[in-house]
Formats: sequence, C-alpha cells, structure tokens
Amino acid sequence: MIPFEYRTPKSLKEVHATLKEFGSDAKLIAGGTSLVIMMRQRLVRPNCLVSLRSVRGLNSIEIHDGGTRIGGLATHREVESSSLLRRRLPLLAETYHHVATIRIRNMATVGGGLAHADPNQDPPPTLIALGATVKATSADGSRVIPLDEFFTDYYETVLKPDEIVTEVFIPKMAPNSAGAYLKFLPRTADDYATVSAAAVLTLDKTRRTINEVRIALGSVGVTPIRAAAAEAVLRGQPLKAEAFAEAGEKAKEAVDPVSDFRGSAAYKKEMAGVFVRRALEKALANLRQQAKPKPALKAIKKAIKKAIKKGKKR
Amino acid sequence: MDVPKVAKSLPGVESVSKIDDKTYEGALTVRVGPIKLNLQGKIIVEEQSKENWRAALRAEAKDRMAAGAVNGKTNMVLKELSANQTELLVDTDVNILGKIGEFGQPIIRKKADSMLKEFVENIKKQLTA
Amino acid sequence: MEKKIKLRVNGKKHELEVPTNRLLIDCLRYDLGLTGTKEGCSVGVCGACTVLMDDEMISACITLAVMADGHEITTVEGLAQNGELHPVQKSFIQYGGFQCGICTPGQVVAAKALLDENPKPTEDEIKDWMMGNLCRCTGYYKIIESIQKAHQFAR
Repeated sequence: MIPFEYRTPKSLKEVHATLKEFGSDAKLIAGGTSLVIMMRQRLVRPNCLVSLRSVRGLNSIEIHDGGTRIGGLATHREVESSSLLRRRLPLLAETYHHVATIRIRNMATVGGGLAHADPNQDPPPTLIALGATVKATSADGSRVIPLDEFFTDYYETVLKPDEIVTEVFIPKMAPNSAGAYLKFLPRTADDYATVSAAAVLTLDKTRRTINEVRIALGSVGVTPIRAAAAEAVLRGQPLKAEAFAEAGEKAKEAVDPVSDFRGSAAYKKEMAGVFVRRALEKALANLRQQAKPKPALKAIKKAIKKAIKKGKKR
Repeated sequence: MDVPKVAKSLPGVESVSKIDDKTYEGALTVRVGPIKLNLQGKIIVEEQSKENWRAALRAEAKDRMAAGAVNGKTNMVLKELSANQTELLVDTDVNILGKIGEFGQPIIRKKADSMLKEFVENIKKQLTA
Repeated sequence: MEKKIKLRVNGKKHELEVPTNRLLIDCLRYDLGLTGTKEGCSVGVCGACTVLMDDEMISACITLAVMADGHEITTVEGLAQNGELHPVQKSFIQYGGFQCGICTPGQVVAAKALLDENPKPTEDEIKDWMMGNLCRCTGYYKIIESIQKAHQFAR
C-alpha cells in the first residue's frame, strides 16, 4: 500500500471538513473489508483515509414512522442479530446473515456495503424488494434515494464523492405480506452467489389476489436488478400456480450476467428464472405460515372454549 | 490513417505522441468505481493499407503502480457496401494481465465492452463528418 | 505517515508508532513479536488470521493497525491463563483437532469466541460459526468434535 494520511473525525461535520481538505483522492473507510483488500492490491490509492469509525450515533436500529430505520454505520452482524429486526423484518436479518463470514460481518457496515456497490452482494436484492430507501448526507445536507435507483454500474452509485450513507429506511410492510431471499451458492457458504433472488409478496384480505409484489436479483448484472416486468405479470392478478413460473421467465429477460467460475452467462440466466419462481413460492409459503394461528394461541383458544363449556354445564 | 485521432477516439486516452513512423506513445486512464488505472504504453501500427482499407494496431500498456498490464490487438477494415454505405469492422482482442486481470475479470470485461462501444461510435462520427 | 496508537493485546497495554499502511497482522507479528497469528489468503477468507477485537472475531490481514487504536485484541497467545491452556486448546490436543497446524491458531481463537457466547453449541451451531475458518488437512470432523467436547475441560 502506498502511504496515506489516516484521520478519525468525531462528527459528520468533521468528516466533511476532512474530505474537503484532502479533495477527490480521499476515501471514506468504515469496516474496510473491501477497501483494504483493494488497497493491498494497489487498485485504490487514496491520499487520505477518512475513518467513520469514531463518529457516534450512526449505528442505531429502531422503529420510525411505522417502518424501520438502520444507521449507515450499523454492522452486518448488528443487523443479523438485532432482536428488533428478527421480530419485525426476519427476511432482512436472514439476508445479512448470508454475507461472507462472521469476521467480515463484524466489521462491514450497512452503508459501506451499499456504497461499495458490488452487484454480487446479498443485502441489495432484499432491500430493493422491501422498498428500502437510502439517506445520503453531504456537507450541504441530505437526500433520500430509493435503493432501486441507487446503483448505476459495477462499484458505482449515484453518490457524490462527499456523500455518506447515513441511514437505510425500510417502510412498514403492508398486512398480508411476506418475503424470501434465496441464494444459489456455487461452492462454499461464504462465497458470492451464482444468482440470488429476493421477492416480497402482498396479498389482499382474501389472500387470493396479489396486491403488490417486488422482485430483485443479485449477481446477474453490473448492478442488482429489479425485475419490473416480472412484477407486472403478477401485480393485481389472482394467485395462480403457473403465475410464478411465468414471472420467472419474464425475469430472465431483465438479466445480463457474466460468465465466470460461478457459472456461464447462459446458465445464470436460466437460474435467474428458476430462483425468481422459487423465491416467490417461498414468500407465499412464509405468508401462509404467518397466517396460521400460533400453537400457543391455539392452545389458549382451546382452553377458553373448554372452560366456557364447563361453565355452561354447571 | 491518423493514429492519434483514432487513439483519442477511445475514451480515457489522455495523450498520444509519435516516436517514429510505426510507433506511438500514449497514456490512458480507466475508472471503475474507486479503481483508477493509469496505463502508459506503446501503440504499434502493424498494418496500414490504403488500397485494402485495413489497419492493424497493437498496444501494450502498463499501470504505473504495477497493478497490472493490458495488451491488445485491433484490426479495422472498411468495406464498401454501396455508393454511400460503408461498413466498419473492428475486431479487438484484449488481454488483461496482473492484479487487475486477476481481480476483476467480469468488471474489466464489461468496462472494456463499453469502452469499445464508445470507441466505435466516435470513429463512426469522425468518418461520417 | 506514522501514527501513535494505544492498544491492549492479550491483556497487556502497548503504545506504538506505526505507519498508517501497517496491517494489524503485521503489527502483531513483527512489531509485537506475536507470531501465533498466521496469514493465509490475505483477503480475509480463510480465517488463519482470526483474532478477537473487543471479543469479536476479525480478519487481521484486512484490518489496518490504526483501526485497532483504543481497542482490545486477543490472539492465540492470549488464550492460556497463568500457564494453563484454555479448555478449547486442551480439547484440540485431546481430540486431534489439528494436523499441520497452520489454520489452528485461527480455529482455536474462533472456537473460543463461540464457546464464550455458547458454551455447549450443537453441531449445526458450530458449523455455522466456524464456517469461515478453512482447513486443508483435517476434513473438519476433529475440529468440530474438539469444540463440542471442550466443555469437558472447563475451568
């Protein structure tokens, strides 16, 4: 690695001042799990690393406006183990659990991961399927960006050089909603996917019509891909067995994977269709599981019925 | 064929200077997200034939910080289809060596594809002007 | 560019001046002479360089030494207490959890972190936790067994 300055600002104001001081060759670092590797290989050569690790207050996970707010500096590990998220957004906690290994998850941050914009990452498809937005903060203020408009190319986002991802917001899930994230792993559990697919389904009260659906894929292009055409064949339609397969076929048209050791482009395209279908099926299964009365509740209901019967007999 | 003009049609080319009749020196900057490559190298004109409207260029470039090297060959042929239609065929073979090659085959390939697309567009603009 | 850092390694306070581009693994091995931690893949995948920072596992090969400023680091050398091996070390010896030994410091540090959180993990819990520590010799069976039976040696 070539020499560089290392600064540890204590507030966002100081971060922006430091970035201004060092200009366009300065780089922000949070967990550093991707950046340090690239620096070791001399692919990235900043003149200054501006560490976000000393900035307090950016790693909270809390309920906000009915939805969930996650600070940009929350680690992957904090997200996967958060009791709040495991209760309210188990799909998200599960997805973050899929990332690499515990060592990486202990350091890698939510914001840092998104800013890095590797299309093979696990969180983006799930976050896109959940309708997440990102808050980007610069010296001039903040703006909110829908995540499906955030990624522009491999390692590139709409972020300006001095913008920091300070927050990710996931809106409240509508009633009768559930999701799934499926990762087709080629070799080891800590690897990137051959293809990955996230789907969030919302049914109407009768649970026979699809009110809303969001589908996103990872590892199939230079950015995560939202399968809008696949969504369109399902939205507003009655729930049918064949519908999911049709959506899978439509999703194939949206992907543009590269051939590599995780699969040929043709194979990945085929698998994109398969895994979209499976993700939708799993989301539906999760929805039906949610709807079932819980065992404890069932037992209580039974006991009350019994007590009422006994009371009537007397 | 004006080699500097052709070379500058490739996005990211910063300078091209002549060494002799068949050799040019050039600098090219390629950006992929946080990765910035400063490639410096030679362009050698292997074939240039006005009668057949063919040109073959070979390039060898190294990244200053030794993150890798790029070498490539490009063949260009102009074919006359009709009185006012000409087809330009560009056939390029690029090898990426070293760390950049190791690290980012898919990224590099996508970037190379988009650069070549832009190169062909620029050449087209120049030829039709 | 040098920076002064203060860190606690295996319970001992250290004040060092390191170049900003010094990796934590090199700082531990060369500046502090703690050569127990090994560098395998250099990209944070194999787990040979596993150390604990504030009781959490990290890859020392992709952490800068300056990032450890103000933190507590535990390496394999810090597992034994008062000359007595840690239960997980005793278990690895008893049940043959290592062959060539190159991945072992990382395995053992990772296992200690698991057992601190979950003293009697199931096989699935062990596999999920230890998934990032690769071994080319053992086929993992003995590593899993050593961890499962480490509670037998509990202090």
